[in-house]
Amino acid sequence: MIRRSAPLSRPCHPCGLDLRPTRGPVIELEGRAKHALETGRTRLVAAGLGFALAFFILAWRLVDLGMGGTAAEPGIAETTTAPLATGRADIVDRNGVVLATTLPTASLYADSRLVPDPVAAAKALAAVLPDSSEAQLAERLASGKAFIWLERQLSPREQYDVNRLGIPGLSFQREMTRVYPQGDLTAHIVGFTNVDNRGLAGMEQAFDERLRGSTDPLALSIDLRVQDLVAVEVAKGIADFDAIGGVGMVLDLQTGELLASVSLPTYDPLKPAAASDEARFNRATLGSYEMGSTFKIFTTAMALEEHVVNLTSGYDATHPIKVGRFTIEDFKGKHRWLSVPEIIIYSSNIGAAQMGRDVGTERQQRYLTALGLTHKADIELLENAAPQVPSPWRDINTLTISFGHGIAVSPLQMITAVGATINGGIFRASTLLKNENGTPGVRILSEDTSADIRWLLRLNALVGSGKRADVAGYLVGGKTGTAEKLTKGHYAKDKRVASFVGAFPMDNPRYLVLVMIDEPKPQAETGAWATGSVVAAPVTGRIIARLGPLLGIAPIAPEIASESDEALIPVVAKAKWGGGRTLASN
Amino acid sequence: MSRLSFVLLLLIALIAAIGVFVLKHEVQKLESELANVHRSIVNDQEALHVLKAEWSHLNQPERLKDLASRYLSLAPLAASQIVRFEALPFRAADPAVGILPDSSQPLPGGPTLASAGAEQ
Repeated sequence: MIRRSAPLSRPCHPCGLDLRPTRGPVIELEGRAKHALETGRTRLVAAGLGFALAFFILAWRLVDLGMGGTAAEPGIAETTTAPLATGRADIVDRNGVVLATTLPTASLYADSRLVPDPVAAAKALAAVLPDSSEAQLAERLASGKAFIWLERQLSPREQYDVNRLGIPGLSFQREMTRVYPQGDLTAHIVGFTNVDNRGLAGMEQAFDERLRGSTDPLALSIDLRVQDLVAVEVAKGIADFDAIGGVGMVLDLQTGELLASVSLPTYDPLKPAAASDEARFNRATLGSYEMGSTFKIFTTAMALEEHVVNLTSGYDATHPIKVGRFTIEDFKGKHRWLSVPEIIIYSSNIGAAQMGRDVGTERQQRYLTALGLTHKADIELLENAAPQVPSPWRDINTLTISFGHGIAVSPLQMITAVGATINGGIFRASTLLKNENGTPGVRILSEDTSADIRWLLRLNALVGSGKRADVAGYLVGGKTGTAEKLTKGHYAKDKRVASFVGAFPMDNPRYLVLVMIDEPKPQAETGAWATGSVVAAPVTGRIIARLGPLLGIAPIAPEIASESDEALIPVVAKAKWGGGRTLASN
Repeated sequence: MSRLSFVLLLLIALIAAIGVFVLKHEVQKLESELANVHRSIVNDQEALHVLKAEWSHLNQPERLKDLASRYLSLAPLAASQIVRFEALPFRAADPAVGILPDSSQPLPGGPTLASAGAEQ
């Protein structure tokens, strides 16, 4: 079968791959043997090609990597340390002062089987853990159980002290705890969390998702320094008049940010369960109160805007108004014709009611809605009161609402609405989040009306009921309010809410302060009165006196102040201070 | 020839293997160093976080007020303490100080002291 013509010159020569015709002797195969050899050859070629392809891919990949051509890998191996994950972002004030943070704390537990001398251990532990009792510790350490809690959430110092004791069998469990370094000062705004660090009140509740999902601190509009000085002055006002509570707020009129929002009494956010419901109640946003005479600002604004009155017109306030079974009277009334500025400075209910009547129910509703007083305020907090508005809104309601009775709104709504009347007529929702660009505003009053309101409020602080709020160096303007509290369906004569809204500087108002004192009692040294002008106005004055230099508002020199104030005294009121014809005789 | 190339190849393979081993060791060392640095960064961050909370706690306005009243003779700024620059009077001529510009000669580009004083 095999015919060998000559010895093989290249025994390993792969069959079929040399295309050159072999000149020498070749092996010639025939029949089945030839067929088998052909098959083997084909298979070898196929396998060889496969391997060649695989090696080529490897080689190409090597070249590719060697050239550094892949975009997936950066030229420099960057390693960044992620920001510390505490599970809940911090809350800071507008200047970055920490108001709420999450700290790792250690909780102490023991395997009591490993504690050699429970009595001595308990004695040593009680010395470094002030909140624990020695007897209780000894009992637990002697219980023989494998796991017992000894003390939850130790401070770093306590942990260090316990570690230093070197007692076997004691261990620490790491836990994250919400901490409020500023204590009760911002409790109503910041709120608190439960043991699982879920927000239960305040911004902690309103921004729960945001705080849990991010490590960036949440910056509030609150300025801690302002918050503190407002809290101190309101607390003093409460103490002076033996009141049950109070509210102090400061609003930036250019941006709508609340620099301070104080509700007293307050509580410790670390121990919210220990506080009374009264203390946990945020009066500034969740309380709704009949505001009284401060509403005359709105009545005057809408009457001026609708040209129902002008600054020299007025109303006869000689006699009380009788509507059905209601009688509208003036507190310390003048019993004569009063001009519009006089209605403000003497806070005449009769005058304001007539002004409201001339504006009309429909237009009053429209303006109060535009001022955000008939629906819930647009604020971040969930503690947000719906105002109590009359339903149906009869004509008698229009009269009483003109001087702030028969409608109850929150102090937040009040400060926001007053802000809109004096900032040039732009309604801007107040915010508790830092927003230096300002929240968007809607024009509701003309510039002229707003200028008139500023003028009236400055006048009121000069010669009217707001005298006690005036501060040397700053053009303060404001309006007092005193309202009897509605208890069990009728007004209580001895339970009042005294308030004051004051802005400064009045030539270009930047900050608006609202002070409200709940149930002030008349004091001997202030006479028998506990009204807005003796209770809340002095508090506002003290706040502004400290606020101005703190927030960098340049005071104006006394001689300039008196000059511009001279110009403020209106024609109609000049009779009393400068002689001349008075319109009151008309 | 073929023997020489074989030895050469073997040598290269050996050097490469040792090189790779040394490199791997080096990288491992760097990586553990990096992990250490990361751990200490996290520790420092945590310490910083605690210190920030403590800083805020120590800066409670109430506490600062107490400290200031005990150790400083300072009080909150009053509006009467602030004056505008234009309201500042010129310094009166004081012979003890010595040289004063001649008030009759106008200063270059400015009012004379006398006239400026008269304006006040």
